[in-house]
Amino acid sequence: MARTTVPIGPQHPLLKEPVAFQIELEGERVAESSMRMGYVHRGIERLCQERTYVQNLHLVERVCGICSHIHATTFCQTVESLLGLEVPLRAAYIRALLCELERIHSHLLWMGVLARNIGLDTIFMYAWRDREVSLDIMEELSGGRVSHAVNVIGGVRQDIDSEQVQSILERLDALDQQLARLLDVVEHERSLRGRTKGIGRLSLAQARAYCAVGPVARASGLDIDLRRDALRPPYDRLSFEVPTHTDGDVWARTLVRMQEAVVSVQLCRDLLTGMPGGPVSVRAPRRVPPAEAIGRSEAPRGEVFYYVRSDGSDTPARVKIRTPTLPNLVTLPVQLGGVTMADVSVVLSGVDLCIACADR
Amino acid sequence: MIVLLKMLVFPGFAFLFAAALAFDWIDRRMIALWHGRVGPPWYQPLADFVKLLAKEDIVTEGTHSVAAALLPIVSLASVLTASCYIPVGGTVGTSFEGDLIVVLFLLSLPALAYFLAGWVSTGVYSILGGHRSLLQYFSYEVPFLMAVACPAILSGSWSIATIAQAQARTAWHAAMLPVGFALALIGLIGKLKRDPLDIPKAKSEVVAGPLTDFSGRKLALWHLTMNVQTVLGIFLLVNLYFGESRFLDRMPALPVFGLKSVVTLLAMSTASALYARLRIDQLMDLGWRVLSPLALIQILGALWIGG
Repeated sequence: MARTTVPIGPQHPLLKEPVAFQIELEGERVAESSMRMGYVHRGIERLCQERTYVQNLHLVERVCGICSHIHATTFCQTVESLLGLEVPLRAAYIRALLCELERIHSHLLWMGVLARNIGLDTIFMYAWRDREVSLDIMEELSGGRVSHAVNVIGGVRQDIDSEQVQSILERLDALDQQLARLLDVVEHERSLRGRTKGIGRLSLAQARAYCAVGPVARASGLDIDLRRDALRPPYDRLSFEVPTHTDGDVWARTLVRMQEAVVSVQLCRDLLTGMPGGPVSVRAPRRVPPAEAIGRSEAPRGEVFYYVRSDGSDTPARVKIRTPTLPNLVTLPVQLGGVTMADVSVVLSGVDLCIACADR
Repeated sequence: MIVLLKMLVFPGFAFLFAAALAFDWIDRRMIALWHGRVGPPWYQPLADFVKLLAKEDIVTEGTHSVAAALLPIVSLASVLTASCYIPVGGTVGTSFEGDLIVVLFLLSLPALAYFLAGWVSTGVYSILGGHRSLLQYFSYEVPFLMAVACPAILSGSWSIATIAQAQARTAWHAAMLPVGFALALIGLIGKLKRDPLDIPKAKSEVVAGPLTDFSGRKLALWHLTMNVQTVLGIFLLVNLYFGESRFLDRMPALPVFGLKSVVTLLAMSTASALYARLRIDQLMDLGWRVLSPLALIQILGALWIGG
């Protein structure tokens, strides 16, 4: 049968960020697919070598717009390992609070994008309206809706007072109700289920073989979550569920992400009510003695991995960033095998690509 | 002279142009209401039309330029011709026995033109969209035609004006043939390529389908055709299923007709807001396994009620 090549990207209404897919169709089915990245490569890892650690803190926050805080946090954790610094517990709580708020905002953003790509604009509007709550809270805490610059090496730059805690707790209650409604729609709306169930299936064995991370892995049954597994404060003091699923299709990923958002709201509540007193930062020296360290965190899309090697000066010798989208991207040819053209948009949306993260 | 005025002004071209813009505005406001937003102001559809007329008209290399120029004109002409036979609040341009068949034929010409627009364009998205539009056509058109035939069978006439008037003696056909009305509405959603059946022009899949490479004046005419088709499709359904009624004959005909049309439009806008887009194979499944058998049963029902 004759093959048609459909280019998706680098510019396409489906994609938030530029990436090029070449889909070879036989009739309506995908026979082969290939991908080309690098359209938003900014050379951040190389730029890091020419800037001080403090400047790099602001640079790595701009690897991604959606998960900016987690990049900065992981970088800080890595440099603090290099320095042998112990961050005050209150600072760890504030960092985790923003990480969880970022997780909520990222999952709601993704839900809206998926809904828009399957033609359900109403859910796009509702999800992004609910996302405004988390963005407003983050703005109140840090001054920025999308990039927060809350971290300093050694802690966070400002504290939360009890009035802020109270107002945030109230808004979290409202967010809880709205998330419950969205979760209800995802579970029961038949047209949404019809478009996403059984599409983009990734089995547990395949998820393991391709080292998938994040909600993509958890939806296939791979129970990994660095918040629970890495045992770093403050998560080692909190108990929370890690939602998993076994189907491994886009609908399972939708369920996992929405349930994770609900868990994150509860985590935010626990973090706010259980926050210990104390300072919010310790002083960090400017020059870092020669050493190498790694830092890992659970970003909204999965495990983000930082490696930093210092050489005794105030600029790092090497910063290596492995973002969660990279291993998930590799699973795409598997997921796209044999799906129809209409499902391509669902599969691409279901992986929650953050190309800026992947390209750096 | 009277006929010319009827054709050009009311219920002809000028009225249709205004109604097309008004219905587009109502549709967008209703969907915005569902979305929790405000929606565009009343002059937005007019502004969009004027803006498109002013834009550069690009014909991509390899596209058959004569066909690309003629297709939007032909489809607009066919829907405007169909307007001659569809009564608006009791006033009709002209009518004869069998004009329902003519109107159905004329209203399905834009679907063919839409497919050809994708065929003569060179882009992959256009051709894919064109394929899908034909597949969709075969899925919704059969139940739609059968559902539209039911009122004709029931009232014993194939003239739209007569069918509308016949309901004054009995009752609204929608009350006697509710399944038929539902099927006709679903068929109309497919015909107008509205969400959840906007498969040929699914933005996240085929960018804009057959119209991807059209811009400027041609695109303005395409949009106008679709808006006029919306208006005429709704008018057709209202005449066939919610025609004249003896309970409402004291009230002025045109506002009542307008109200019925707007309510039908609001129902279609709600369907747009509530459902995700179907996949083409899901639509074909729905069309042949559910809608067509139901339409057949409804025809039998119409025959039985009609006596």
